[in-house]
Formats: sequence, C-alpha cells, structure tokens
Amino acid sequence: MDRRHFIGQSAAALGLLSGFSGQAQANLQKAEILVIGGGYGGATAAKYLRLFSNNTARVTLIEPNTSFISCPMSNLVIGGSRSLAEITSPYDTLSKRHGIKIIQDSVSSIDSDKKTVKLASGKTLRYDKVVVSPGVSLNFKSIEGLAQANKDGVILQAWKAGPETVALHKQIATMREGGTFVISIPEAPYRCPPGPYERACQVANYLKQNNPKGKVIILDANQDVTSKGALFKKVWAEQYAGIIEYRPKSNVVGVDAKTKTVKLEVEDDVKGDVLNLLPQMAAGEIAIKTGLANSNGRWVNVNFLNFESTARKDIYVLGDAIQIAPAMPKSGHMANQHAKVAAAAIVAELSGWEVNPAPVLTNTCYSFVNSKEVVHVASVHQYNAAEKTFKTVPGSGGVSPAPSTLEGVYAWGWAHNIWADSLG
Amino acid sequence: MNLKWMSLLTSFLIKILTMHFMTYYLEIIRTEINPMRAKYLKPAILASLYIGISQWSGAALAQNADASNLYKRGLAATCANCHGTDGKGVVDGGMPLINNLTSEQILTQMKAFKSGAREGTIMPQLAKGYTDEQLEIIANQLGKK
Repeated sequence: MDRRHFIGQSAAALGLLSGFSGQAQANLQKAEILVIGGGYGGATAAKYLRLFSNNTARVTLIEPNTSFISCPMSNLVIGGSRSLAEITSPYDTLSKRHGIKIIQDSVSSIDSDKKTVKLASGKTLRYDKVVVSPGVSLNFKSIEGLAQANKDGVILQAWKAGPETVALHKQIATMREGGTFVISIPEAPYRCPPGPYERACQVANYLKQNNPKGKVIILDANQDVTSKGALFKKVWAEQYAGIIEYRPKSNVVGVDAKTKTVKLEVEDDVKGDVLNLLPQMAAGEIAIKTGLANSNGRWVNVNFLNFESTARKDIYVLGDAIQIAPAMPKSGHMANQHAKVAAAAIVAELSGWEVNPAPVLTNTCYSFVNSKEVVHVASVHQYNAAEKTFKTVPGSGGVSPAPSTLEGVYAWGWAHNIWADSLG
Repeated sequence: MNLKWMSLLTSFLIKILTMHFMTYYLEIIRTEINPMRAKYLKPAILASLYIGISQWSGAALAQNADASNLYKRGLAATCANCHGTDGKGVVDGGMPLINNLTSEQILTQMKAFKSGAREGTIMPQLAKGYTDEQLEIIANQLGKK
C-alpha cells in the first residue's frame, strides 16, 4: 500500500465514522414508521417510538375504532358490576400529547416488497418500518353453525371487548329463571388464558344475586384449567358451589343455535339458554393475509430481540398474534411489554446502534373471582441469547395465595396505569 | 456486556490506527528525501490524526452512551404498566406510587422484596426475576431526581 493510498483510505474511513452519528439521526427522523392496530401492543408501540426517539421519529397509528375498549376488566361488564364507559379510553391523547398521527381506518393489505400499506379507504401509505399489532382472529368455522349464529347476534363471543360485551350482559340478565349459561374454551393457545374462568366467575356472581337457580357450565377443550387452576377451583367450590360446573376435555365442534344445543367431539350434547362459545384463535387477519403466520399458519414467528417477523423484513409483530416463547401468555400486559422492546429496537436500528442484547419482559394478570376479590399470576421473562428466546427466571413469578380485596384495588390500579402507559 | 465489548473494541481500534499512523509517520521522517515536504507533512498528518480520532471516538462514545441510555429506559419501562410511564403513576389510581421515592429508597425496597425481607403480593415475585444490577439501573432511572 503506498502512502497516498493509505492516507486517502484512512481519511475516508474517519470521515465516514465521524459522519455516521449525524446520518443515523437523520435516518431516524426521515423514516416513515407505521403502527397497525391500536390495542395494548400497537398503542404502546406508537407512544414509546416517540418517547424512545426523544420525539423525533415520525409515527402514524392506523386504528379503525374511535376509542380503546379494554379486554381486561371487560368480564366485569359482562357480570354487570361495571359499565363499558369505565373500561373505555380515548385515542386522542396519543396525538395531542405525543404527536402521533392517527388514521381512523383499517388496513386491507401490506406489500412487503414495495413497503406499502393499503388502507380500506383505498389510500396507500409508504413505510420504512411497520409495526403490526393485529390481535387475534376468531376462527368461527372451528365450531359448525357458530359463524351464522354470531352474525345473527344469537351466540356472542365478547372476546373482543365492545358492543358484544354489553349485549352478552343483556342476554345473561334476561335469561329465564334457573337457566344455564354455557361457556366453551378452545384448546390453548388462545387470547387471555385465565379469561374464560374469570368470566365464568363473573356470570356466576351475577346469577348468585339475581337468578340463584341459574347455572354455569364450563366446557373446556383443555386437559385442565389452563391458568390459576387451583385458585379458580377453590373459588368455584367455596363461592359458587351448585352454580359452576367445570368439564375438562370437552371439545366443542358444533352448535344448533335454534335449540341452543352444543355438540361435543366425544361427550353427549349440552343444552343451554345463553351460549358463549369461544372458537379457536389465530393471529389477526392482516398477519395471516400478509404471509406472516409462519407457525402452523396460525401464529407469527418473531425474532425476540426486536419482534421482527422471521418471514418479512422491517415488519414487527406484537402481542397475541405471535408464536409465544415458553410460558409467555397472550395478554394485554405482555403486548404492552413486547411493544416497548420493539420500539427500542426500531429506534436503535434506525440510529445505527446495536439493539439491546438483553431485553426483559414482565407479565401481570389479575382475575376477579367476584366483583371485589382478585387473584393474580405474575412472571418475569429474560432474553436467553443461547436459545434466542425469552425464559422465565427460576424462583420468580407466581400466583396469589388466595383471593383478596387488596388485590382487587391493585387490579384497578394496574388497569388505570396500563391504560395511561399505553394511551396517555 | 456487549456495550463494554463495543467500547473496548472502539478503543482498541483507535490504538491500532494511532500506531499505524505513527509507523507511517516515522517511515516518512526516515525516508523522506525532501526535508521540506516532511516539514509540512508532519503537522498536516498530526492535525488530521487529532481531528479524525477525536471525532471518531466522540461519535462512537456518544452512540454508546445513547444506546446504553435507551437500554436503561427500556428496562425501567417494564415497570410502567403498573407504576406509570417514567415512574409517574396515576394518582389515586389504586397502585402504590413510587415517584416520591429516591433511587436509593427504590433500590432498598426492591432488594427487600427480592430477599423476602419485605412481604407483598406481586412485587416479591417480580423482584426475584431481576438481577441486582438490573434493579440498580431501574432504581436510578425511576428515582426522584
């Protein structure tokens, strides 16, 4: 190497390095970042992309609903002890306080080659990075007759909180005296593992006070209660004896909406008055349509360091839609935590930094066993570089020893804080 | 740990480059036929060396500090679901507020939860999932400034 050559090269290298920081900052500011879906995952991602970039990143949130209705706490609305208004938050704080552009629309397709998103209104948006937080899709076809019955408003899911949440409470409140409420649970994984058992408690709590001869039957496709099992079973025996009947290994395959008859794979038919049949679940439709659901065609495999889809570059997927790491629940809390890891990773990538090599997630989930008493499950998940996944820390996490009203207060504390953290 | 490696690598590269320059510089001094050229070359090389390295290491260190700060914010954000964004919890929301505590107080409480010295509902279970180093970072991030 001659001298001039060496000096030239060195100068170029130094120039490149010294200019790098400024260029990266420009990349962060110039990037078009879209967030699809304003649930616990998407709303949090939008907000933390702004926070972690010190309000320099340009973030657009695409969400069809005018306000956020929380799935956690919505079983209390079904049980009649709370109203839908109490679990609803506005979206506009994200634009007013955090400068996020909000487009009220839904996404009809994502073109990962052209890096564009097409909205239902027909408009096309370009992106450099897109965060997809689509929640779950309910596969009504997994239960024969359910799709039509749901369309007709006869059998409700209320698994996505909203008008069906209120309508299901009405069905329960107007059920005949001594009638039976039947809830069925699909095989795991599904959104919110303890949710159906909490719902059974809330309906039983309502019936105990308003329709004491009424019954609740839980048809569970799983081998046993999938979350907080010992706690729920104790509550059912102590607070709802003669009201709640739990049947494990009961896989629902069909329904006759007219006669309210539930057909099981093996056991005899079950008749009810109000049916709440939860079908099998998969990643939200847009994820499947975009070819992101590369785990059994149902869930999205992600790189757990940044939550980027393993199927498509620059598409980051959060929340219930992903193929979970071991012992990682599909919960709102977890989606909020995914969002923060992804937001930090996107900011790091656009700034030319290495992404955090050791992210941490927590989960906290409170279940109301009546209108006041609560049990929880909590866990901490540290990234394991050798196995490229999150693992719970041995000796950490756990459940409540028993239901308590103190945890009922904390549960509302959790709700108010996570709503503020995600949307406020 | 990766950050430590990155800064180690950076300083190592700076040293290599400096040595490289020095070797060439000495070579120039020794072999330069025209002494006048060497006279002008010396300060020019020294100046470019100085500017280049100071800018380079400055940029690299700034990146490291910013990235490290981002990781710390990310870690502290695992608490925000219950205790509020940046530790600013919802007042009268039902959850104990932590933003009136100093970093030292937060660390003491979290270590007490972790060891079992302090009882609680969720915090003893969550505190056990963090390393002492992580608890320290969280306390420093969220403590009253």
